[in-house]
Order: sequence, then C-alpha cells, then structure tokens
Amino acid sequence: MQGTRTDIEFGFGNGTERIDFAAEAHLSPTTTLLQYLRGRSDRKGTKEGCAEGDCGACTVVLGEPDGNGGMSYQACDSCLIFLPQIHGKQLITVESIGKSTALHPVQEAMVETGGSQCGYCTPGFIMSLFALYKQGPNPSRDEIDDALTGNLCRCTGYRPIVEAAAQSCAKGPHDPIAEFAPAMAKILQNLAQNSSTFEIRREDQVYFRPQNLTEALRLRQQHPTALLVNGSTDIGLLVTKQKRVLPVVIDLSGVQELKKVESATETLKIGAGVSLEKVRKLSEKKFPALNDMLNVFGSRQIRNLATLGGNVGTASPIGDTPPVLMALDAEVELVNLSENGVQSLQRRRLKVADFIDGYRSTVLAGNELIESFILHKNQPGITVKSYKISKRKDLDISTVSGGFRLGLDEKGRVKEIRLYYGGMAATTKRAEAAEDFLQGKEWSRANVEAAMDLVESAFTPISDARAGKEGRRVMARNLLLKFWSETVPQTV
Amino acid sequence: MSTQNIPHESGAFHVTGEARYIDDLLVNDRLLHGRVVYSPHAHARILSFDLAAARALPGVHAVLSYQDLPGENQMGPIIHDEPVLAAGKVECVGQAMFIIAADDEMTAIRAEKLIQVGYEVLEPILSIEDAIQKGELIQPARKIERGDIEKGFAGADHILEGTLHTGAQEHWYLETQVCLCLPGEGNEVKVLSSTQHPSETQALVAEVLGISKMEVEVEVRRMGGAFGGKETQANHTAIWAALLCKATGRPVKIRLFRDDDQKITGKRHPFFFEYKIGFDQTGRVTAYDVTQHTSAGIATDLTMAVLERAMMHADNSYFFPNIRIIGNAWKTNVPSNTAFRGFGGPQGMSATENALDRIARFLKMDPFEVRRRNFYGAEDQNITPYGQEVQNNRLYLIEEQILKSSDYLKRKAGVADFNAKSEFYKRGIALTPVKFGISFTSSFLNQAGALVNIYKDGTVLVNHGGTEMGQGLHTKIQQIAAHELGISLGKVKVNATNTSKVPNTSATAASAGTDLNGMAVKNAIEKLKSRLVEVAAAHFNETLGPGSQPDQIRFAQDQIFDESHPERKIEFAKLMPIANFRQVSLSATGFYKTPGVYFDRAKGHGNPYHYFAFGMACSEVEVDTLTGYVKMLRTDILHDVGETINANIDLGQIEGAFIQGLGWVTTEECKWDAKGNLLNHSPDTYKIPNVQDIPRDFRVKLLEGAPNPNTIRRSKAVGEPPFMLAFSNWLAIKDAISAVGNHAFEPAFQLPATNEVILLSLEEIRGKMRGEKVKSL
Ligand SMILES: Cc1cc2nc3c(=O)[nH]c(=O)nc-3n(C[C@H](O)[C@H](O)[C@H](O)COP(=O)(O)OP(=O)(O)OC[C@H]3O[C@@H](n4cnc5c(N)ncnc54)[C@H](O)[C@@H]3O)c2cc1C
Ligand code: FES
Ligand code: FES
Repeated sequence: MQGTRTDIEFGFGNGTERIDFAAEAHLSPTTTLLQYLRGRSDRKGTKEGCAEGDCGACTVVLGEPDGNGGMSYQACDSCLIFLPQIHGKQLITVESIGKSTALHPVQEAMVETGGSQCGYCTPGFIMSLFALYKQGPNPSRDEIDDALTGNLCRCTGYRPIVEAAAQSCAKGPHDPIAEFAPAMAKILQNLAQNSSTFEIRREDQVYFRPQNLTEALRLRQQHPTALLVNGSTDIGLLVTKQKRVLPVVIDLSGVQELKKVESATETLKIGAGVSLEKVRKLSEKKFPALNDMLNVFGSRQIRNLATLGGNVGTASPIGDTPPVLMALDAEVELVNLSENGVQSLQRRRLKVADFIDGYRSTVLAGNELIESFILHKNQPGITVKSYKISKRKDLDISTVSGGFRLGLDEKGRVKEIRLYYGGMAATTKRAEAAEDFLQGKEWSRANVEAAMDLVESAFTPISDARAGKEGRRVMARNLLLKFWSETVPQTV
Repeated sequence: MSTQNIPHESGAFHVTGEARYIDDLLVNDRLLHGRVVYSPHAHARILSFDLAAARALPGVHAVLSYQDLPGENQMGPIIHDEPVLAAGKVECVGQAMFIIAADDEMTAIRAEKLIQVGYEVLEPILSIEDAIQKGELIQPARKIERGDIEKGFAGADHILEGTLHTGAQEHWYLETQVCLCLPGEGNEVKVLSSTQHPSETQALVAEVLGISKMEVEVEVRRMGGAFGGKETQANHTAIWAALLCKATGRPVKIRLFRDDDQKITGKRHPFFFEYKIGFDQTGRVTAYDVTQHTSAGIATDLTMAVLERAMMHADNSYFFPNIRIIGNAWKTNVPSNTAFRGFGGPQGMSATENALDRIARFLKMDPFEVRRRNFYGAEDQNITPYGQEVQNNRLYLIEEQILKSSDYLKRKAGVADFNAKSEFYKRGIALTPVKFGISFTSSFLNQAGALVNIYKDGTVLVNHGGTEMGQGLHTKIQQIAAHELGISLGKVKVNATNTSKVPNTSATAASAGTDLNGMAVKNAIEKLKSRLVEVAAAHFNETLGPGSQPDQIRFAQDQIFDESHPERKIEFAKLMPIANFRQVSLSATGFYKTPGVYFDRAKGHGNPYHYFAFGMACSEVEVDTLTGYVKMLRTDILHDVGETINANIDLGQIEGAFIQGLGWVTTEECKWDAKGNLLNHSPDTYKIPNVQDIPRDFRVKLLEGAPNPNTIRRSKAVGEPPFMLAFSNWLAIKDAISAVGNHAFEPAFQLPATNEVILLSLEEIRGKMRGEKVKSL
C-alpha cells in the first residue's frame, strides 16, 4: 500500500497547477470544477447556466495522453466534475485558447458568422467547438450536431454556430495547444507515475480517490456506506442541486482497471469505468441496439464523463442502458477483495437482468464493485432493438424506453421474445403477458396488435413532468408495433 | 462608413470569455450572498413566523421580512398590486417571503432552514378553467369590436366553434436573474442589474428603500439574454438585493439559481380561447367571435398590455369584416406572468391560425388558399378591428416570392405522395403569414433619450436608454452614430446603459429599441453637427480665407469638408480640439417620440402602431406516428425588416425568434401539480430547442426592396415578429397528424404540440377511423 496525498496536480492550458486541499480550507473535495473556476478572478469566462449538465455553458475541455505521445481532448460539463477528478488531466478553458486580440480559429469563426448574440452560452460553445476542431478537419453535419447537442443557446437558433463549426474545422486542427501537446503528454504521464490514493478528511466529509482496484476494494470494505462515484453525472446533482454534503465518498474515476476494454471472438468486455462515449464507439458495429441508445444518451459532455457502471449501478427506472443490456443478455461482473488470509480478488458474474432487483436497488454487496460488463457477440437468429421516447429527441431523459429481443423460427414464428420497458414502472420491467401471448405465434401484425393490449395492461405508469400516464401507455403500446415494423420479415 | 454586416460589437469578448456579466464582476471580500426564501404553498395564510434562529446563525448578516422594509412593500410596475415580500398571505409557490444576506451560499441555506413559518393552507386556483368557474378577473374585461357579428354569422355558409389552449413558456435566458448592489455615501446605492428597464428598476428601488431616485444609480452593460423576462421581473431581484445592501451596508449579490428562477419568475401567459367563426363556401370569413382568457398570476404586472396585444393580433394578416374580441385576464395562484417576445401577439394569433386551418380542412381547400383569400387588401379591406389602416401592406410581395422560393404547391403534392406510401411516418406542410404591430400600445412609452459625447481626440461615446441583451442594439447604434458623423466604427463606443447618463427611459421592449434609441442618438448627433459646421466653416474661413458656409459642411470618411470647396477639409479628430478651444460644447442630449400613435382603451380604437412588420414561413415536417417524434425537414422564411441596418444581426434575430417560437409550439411545456408546484422547473424537464431540433434545411431571407418610410435608416423592428413564423411548423405537424385519417377528421390539437399531444391526437383519430369502419359494416 502506498501513502496517501491531499493534493491534486493537473495541466492548465499549457502550464500546470497544483491544489493542496489541506492548505485550501475554502475548497472541499466536492467543490465542482465550475465553482473553482468561477471563484478565480482570471477564469470568469466559464459560465453557470443550470448546474445540472443540461446547458453546456460550463463546458471545458479535458485533455488526456492519447497513448501515442499526443493528447486527446474531451468536452465536459465542469458543473458536474468534482475537483479531484481532474487530477492528472489537462484542463483547458475558454481563456486558454485565445484572447480578443488573438483569436483561436473557432473563436474567429464564431465572431464572423454571428454565432454569439447575448454571449452567455458562447464560452461553452467555444469549448465544444474546440474539442470538435481537435478531432480533425471537415466533420459531417451529424458530427457537428452531436458535438453541439450539449450546449443550449436561447438567442441564435444555432445556424450560425453550425456554420462556425464547419468553417473553422475546415482549417484545423493546428493551434498553440497542439504545439504543446507532446510536452503536456509527458508531464501528465509523469504525474500518473505517482499512484497514491488522494484522501482528504474534513469535519463533515471524507473523500477517497484510489488509483487501483485493490485499493478501491479495500476502502470499500472499510467504508461500506460510502457513496461511490465515477463520472459523477448522477451523484454530482446531489451536491449542485440538492446542496447536500456527502459524508463519505469513494471516487472510482482514477481506478485504471475499471477503464479496460477486452475484445475476444465471442465477447466484448467493457470496464465499469469506461465512458459512455467510448462505449458508444465500441458498440457501433457489433451492437447497434446499444449504439442507437447511446446516440441519444445525454450529450457529448455527459457521455464523456458518465460510465456504464454508473448507469447500471444507479438502477434507475429511466436509466437508458439497462433495458437494452438486458435484451442483449449482457452480464455484469462483480468483484470483491477476499478476506481469507492472502488478499485476492474474487469475482462473480450474473445477468444484468438479475443484477437490478428493485427501484434504484441492486444485488451488489457492501464489499463489491462492478468491474465490467460482458456482451456476447454471436447470437444467431436474434434481433435486438432499442427505443427511447423523450420530449426532446436529444439530451433528454426517457419518458418511455424499450429494449426488445426477438428470435423467429424458420416459419416466422416467435421462438424467443423479451420486451424490457423503462419508464413504465419503478424498475426496468418486462411485458411478460405480451411475451407469453406472442411465444410460438406468427410474428404478424394481427398478433402484435393483440399483444399491444397486453403491453398496456402490464403496467400502471405514473404521470409526471415528462408525460401523463395515458401518454405513457400509448407510447409503450406503440413501441411494440414499431419493433414489429422494423423486424417483420420482408416478403416481396 | 457603416458596413452592413459588421459583427456584434462584443463578439470578440463573447468568444474569449472576456465579456463581463454581472456575476463576473470583481467585488471586494465584503461581498455578501443574497438568498430569497419563497413560499412552498400556492395559497396560504401566514399565521406566524420566527426569524430569530436564522438571524443568530454566525455568518448571517440580515434576514428581512415585510416588516423590515424602509419604504413601500410594493413592486408592481404599473398597478401596485405585488408585494416585495409576502405580508400575511402567500398566493403562489415561489412568492418571496424573506430575504437573507450571508457570507456564502451554504450559510444562507442553513439560515433558511432555521426559519419557522406557520401556515393555514388555502385552496389555490391554478388553471384558467378553474378561474373561469370560481375565480376573479384581475382587471375589468376588455373588448374590441367591429361590424355586426350577428349579421356576419347569419350570412355565413358554415360556422365552426371550438376552443384552444396555449401553454406557458419559460424565458430560459442563459443568464438567470442577477443583481449586484453596492452601497455608496449616505443613502446612495449603485445597482448593477441585468434589467431591460433601468429607469423602472431605479424608480422601484427608490420607492422600496424610501429614498429618492437621484440616490439610485442603475447600470447594465449587457444581459445574458432577457426576451421580456427582465422587463419587469428583473426589478424583483434588484429590489431584494438593494434591501439587503441597505440593511447590511455591504455589497450584496443575488443570482437566482436556475430552478429558483424558473419557480419564482413569471412566464409567457398561457391562454384559453373560445371561438366561433363563420365563413362562406369560398373560405372567406364573415364573422369571428373570440374570447381570450389568460392566466395573469398573482399580480397584474404587464398582463393587461399583453392581453391588449393578444386582442389586437387576433386578426393577424386577415380582414375580418365582423369581429368581436373579448379579453379576460384571470387572477391565478402562479407567479405573475409577464412579457415574453411577442407579448401576447403569438397567443392572439394562434387561435385564429388554428381556426383558419379548420376551415380549410372543413372545405377541403388548401389552407394557404384560405389564408390568402382573407388577407388584408392593399387598397381596401385594410382597416384593422381597432381602426388602424394597414399601410404599406407587404403580404402580396412576400406571398409571391415565397410561393416560388419554397415551391409550396409542388411540395404539398410531394407530401401527399409520401403519405400515400408510408404508414407510420407522415409528413405535413404549412405556409403561414405574420403581421405584427410595432410600438408600445401605451403610446406615451414611445420615447427615448440619448447623450452623445465627443472627446477631444475625436472618439465618440454614445449613451442611450436602450439595453443590450444580445439583440445587437448597441451594434446598430454604433453603426448609426458612425454613419451620421461620417467616422469609422472604431471611433464610436456605446456605453453601458446608465440612469445617470440618460434618465426616465422606457423599457427596451416591443422590438422598438433601435427605432426609438436610434432616432434619439441621431437627434443628439444632429445637434452636435449643427455646432460643428459652424466651427468648421469659421476654421476654414480663418485659415484659408473666406468662402465657406456652414450649410455646405459635410461629414464623411473621418473628414469634415466643405462641399463647395472640396479641398477645404480637416480630419474629424483634428477639429474637436479646435471646437473645444472655441468654447463649443461637444456633448449633446437627444430625444425622440414616435409620431402619430394613440389608442383609446375604452373604445378599443385608435392608431396604436407606428407601422406593421410582415413575414411568412413555409415548413415541412415528418412525424413518426408511433413515437410522436417530429423531424423538421425544411423551413423557408421571408421576412420584412425594411432596409436592413445590419443583415447579420437581422438574420440572427429572425432565426433566433423563430427557433424560440418553435420551442413554444413543440417541446416547451409547463405543468403544475394539484398543489401549484411547477413540475418543469429545470432544463432536466423543461426542453428548449437544441441544435438537433432546428430545420435541417433552413432558408432565411430578408425581403428586399421594401424600405420603411419614417424610421431610422428606413429599417424595421425585428425582435419579435419572426417568433410567430413557427406557426408554420405547428400547423405542418397538424397536417401530418391529419394525414393519418386522410384529412377526414379534425385533429385534437393544442399548443405546444408535444410528442404526447401528438400521440394522443393520433389515438383519437385512429379510434374514429375504427369507429367508422364499424359503422360502415
Ligand atoms: C444532463 C444529464 C443527462 C443525462 N442523460 C441521461 C440519459 O440520456 N440516459 C440515462 O440513462 N441517464 C442519463 N443521465 C444520468 C447519468 O448520466 C447516468 O446514469 C450515468 O450513466 C451515470 O454514470 P456516472 O459514472 O456519472 O455515475 P456516478 O454519478 O458517478 O455514480 C452513480 C452511482 O452508480 C454506482 N456506481 C458507479 N460506478 C460503480 C461501480 N464501478 N460499481 C458499483 N457501483 C457503481 C454507484 O451507486 C454510484 O453512486 C443524465 C444525467 C445528466 C446530468
Ligand atoms: S452549468 Fe449547465 S451544464 Fe453545467
Ligand atoms: S447567445 Fe444568448 S444564449 Fe446563446
């Protein structure tokens, strides 16, 4: 076991910065990155529009070594990031990339196209554009849209901002940040050598940020009631919105083992700490249903932070990945530190469907963590699709979602069917009566329409800010018809 | 000279984060955090409250109730019916009861938790229907009437009756309400407020603090968006901050947290319409009778002016020979609804547009054909229900061009083809017009002031009464000033708006910022120029021999020259020290009032508008009939801004307003629970359009060759009118829903048309279709 540290170090623009929490009483470990920036007289450019990840006014870019001697850059919502989480990264704010007398290409384009009116959203857009610019020249309109989904603007109507993206990225991606990238990568790699746990104890709060799995599990054993965080896109809101003080926190975002991805012939194993943006890219070819869902999951800024472990771990009834993971028959691997004599890691595997056992409740034991998810690549004869209905197509929480699995026999009869619904009950729930009805029957419009009534009667949904129960019932019914329309064997 | 497309004057500051908003200002470490404690009940008597424990908490510097106000407990801008802090009762969730000043936010939150309040909870009135049943009007009903409505119905071939709901809309300016107050000497207080109406903020702060206006200085450099939400309701935050500043003698800042802003502040007025419309076989309307009910909230605020504009826009672009418009504003237990881009105009038009759409479906005619048959005439049939003549009617010019550029008729056929082949996806198309009256309908408000200073180095500082909220007002003013003085843009700076520089101004609202303030600035510059021509002529005559006349002196290209002796010229900057040496003042005020506007409220008659702005939009959408998701395929807009002063800024206003309108008609929904709690109080559940919601193919054009007589540089106001172009999307959605039933059934429809509204409407149509099949068996 290594010693602990009370400080964090990170790249800041092209320089570096160190914060020692032991010396800075006004900063708590759950001070958000946005609060930190706004507290500095030289970093007022980054704005707060919502403090919940929905507007992007607080967007900053975090850089990480890309493993090839350079850096890769991700736009993130600084309002959701706890300060210790930027340890070992490069923080880039709107002030880092240009000034009014020497504009960065994305800034110049935004001025030219009239991309700012009141200007309050603008620094956030600039950072999203900067991250896009860094991805290489000539992004498609879809890529531009996706990069800007997490930024709200109430003034412009977005057209000039989209134009600014196209204009500036055509010139990219060279800038002063790029020139310094190799040096920054080295600096950050050196920082990564020191893998001691960050630990800060305050009167009302203890915060740990271990760097490896064994250490994380040891802390988990010692503090079974500690709140776990990884991307903090869920937990962060307790602080920013509910203004709660979190008494004991184990921050998993530094645990390298949780970020692993292993692809074998039969399986794809994704670490619980892998960002959903990475999962989105990983799933593109082999798991289109998961990919479809992640394409409409939050925004780029959210997906760069949020993890798969966090989405399944919260077991929210409106979490978007559980229905599709269940439909994919995905498994979850849990890990703990065995206590008999020598310390060793013990693992167990179970279906995601068996992992969640109630409203925001799972079978995770007090000494366990989710280590990874296992997706099975070869499932012949099986079709899986996912659906999300929300008021706004992007960056919205599901009103109703579905993860559906279907296997037909050679005669077009239903061999296997599972219909997982989100948003219709206190937890992800199957429409079992409809499945039973369809089992063995022809996958026909008439049968599906009859089953729609059974879908409806399977749930007693609630009315809330997103929709009424009547609307939810119609949505749930319709999703089955939609599934049918997209899977019915084409007889020409 | 002023070029047409210069970027926003603050553009380079916006994109680098150098632009300073109130929350970014650096204050010394004596700054206190202000917090508003608001009512958790929609309607209750306050039986008791105890602030002692909160006041005793270390780090707390003031906790104030209505009992601690030095002046009046009242912040209603026109009608004095809104308390600063609740006294004896609370009437909505979100109504301010107490205010706290503390060292930091967490201390203020802890203090709030220590406040004890005893309530007797009473029944709230939340919906307009409830109010109609058992509530009361906040002010007497209004009426505008023309022709003989009964005769009109008697002469109709058909009559349709119906109702329509339009929802509340949250402003969702990116910068929430914010104010920083700095104490001065004696009673002085400096108020840095994100307000559209500095003079009113000044007046109300003075009244509530019990001091005089000369002791209150209000300043606003820029707002992070406003849209009407900071016309009266920025006053509230400013007053609360000023009270705490006064009570503690320390700088105090209040910046509302997003959820608090959404819960505390008023919204665009929701409306409920009951209408009856009579028409002949050709689609011409013979009579239109509409009652507009709106939810005022707990206080009058600007409701009556909003209602008035809604009533005066019930006609939109159409001549209705016989028409009666009744307006009722009901008192309800929600925060006082307020100004929002369009100011009632969008609501007033919505029922009419929906009714015309019904007529078309009923007669199986093209909806645009029905619309155009009812357009105001160019020569006759051009008097509005309130008696104003529609002059310089641009409808025909726009119609001709947009029918071509949008290819409406051909695409309509294409939509029908698509729908015939597609079961689950349906497309719809609509072309809708806007006619919008420009001016405050309270005629005296149509005035503006300016103060222009020329310094001895030839640079010019322009002060005017308008405020910059992103609309580009300061940029246009800078262009106007540079143009009038014949100097480069870089020599002109527009200053922060400040009540000490230009007093007694009107709100920057009603889209009239440039019209009014541009003229006032021009007026000030004319005064300066009349002095400078004397100086220049005298200077030329003294240095070059006699021959120059003041009336021959011109200003161009940073020079001042004699037109009849072009070799006689001097750099603009060089003449200023000469003028100063000759003891000529280089500072002048300017003033402007809009000529010829008046309105008689009692009679519902007059000439309330200086002119009308026009526009049209054609939109095509695709609805996924199983999920209710709408794809905005294409929108063509042709909009009339007269002669543009800055095309980039005008396009930005058109697009921005249109997209805001798009949000209002589609995804932006406010719902309250039975206890009066707003359910959609954060962007988590309140959904404004994002980049993926805009039309994929988006073609916006300014109408060319249509200068506006008698306004600054023949331009037109542009802030609000394009908002209503989004009716094209709303009705295109309805068209797509209607296609599911082969246009045989009138879809149940509302505004906003959320995915849920769409799905339920589709269910109803499918039900009717099944019903028909049963019948035909
Ligand atoms: C603006 C915004 C948009 C969002 N959009 C969506 C959306 O479209 N769809 C959706 O489903 N959700 C959405 N969310 C919710 C949230 O982003 C997701 O649930 C996300 O996946 C959570 O991941 P995280 O790593 O950030 O979780 P954290 O907040 O870090 O952690 C949440 C919880 O997950 C558990 N957990 C995390 N890692 C582990 C582990 N290794 N082992 C055991 N337990 C663990 C813990 O209980 C922890 O407390 C949104 C949130 C925001 C703020
Ligand atoms: S402040 Fe809105 S996303 Fe962070
Ligand atoms: S420019 Fe005002 S919110 Fe984007």
